[in-house]
Amino acid sequence: MGKPIIKGDTIKIPSDPEFLSDVDIFLEGTLRGFGAEESVVADIAISVSELVNNAMLHGNQSANDKVVTVSISRGNESVTVTISDEGCGFDPASVPDPLADENLLEEVGRGLFIVKSLMDKVDINPTEKGTTIAITKAI
Amino acid sequence: MKLTDRIQDNIVVLEPKGKIMGGPDASLLHDKLYELIESDRKKIVIDLAKVEWMNSTGLGILISSYTTLRNNNGELKLANVTDKIQSLLTITKLVSVFDAHDSVEEAVKSFE
Repeated sequence: MGKPIIKGDTIKIPSDPEFLSDVDIFLEGTLRGFGAEESVVADIAISVSELVNNAMLHGNQSANDKVVTVSISRGNESVTVTISDEGCGFDPASVPDPLADENLLEEVGRGLFIVKSLMDKVDINPTEKGTTIAITKAI
Repeated sequence: MKLTDRIQDNIVVLEPKGKIMGGPDASLLHDKLYELIESDRKKIVIDLAKVEWMNSTGLGILISSYTTLRNNNGELKLANVTDKIQSLLTITKLVSVFDAHDSVEEAVKSFE
């Protein structure tokens, strides 16, 4: 797979950060179509960029033949976005606390913490065939 | 993200524009920073007025800029931190790390 593929409310991208902006354009356009406020659009866009980055680098280990899938669905008063990779899963409890004094100046390691801060609900489902994370935010 | 720079009262002002989300963004700012340090420009303001939002990669770039300058006897100031970025700095406790100012003029003056 060499470039993004969009089908309905789903986009599949190769594990290359070059394609982060394709996900963002697709996501923000869809959210505005749902009538979401700009602040909510930004919070969801930030969160999805974090999770897609993680899925590419940590999940798929940047492997060219593995893809990241992002799907958007609208509920009555909320939006749910699921991000799936094809890696080996991970233990969310193993992520170091980014607020600890010794980690404060680390350049990485805040992504999941930020997602949990910005979203109303975060469901993490790691399996041996990949991790799927579903994030939900009221709109 | 796009990046421009200018000199104001002998201080370098970097002006990123757009979204800082990862990919090529990190190397763009990092390369510029090393170029400035090598030319002995070590007092730098990053003007965030035109940054729509950033994620943890963006925060990592700011931290990297801060530590790189500090380790080279330089100094970094932030200016025009938007509400969205301020909120990220607050929840990550990084608000205590950066010297942030309401305007570029104030940030430049603070080097005196």
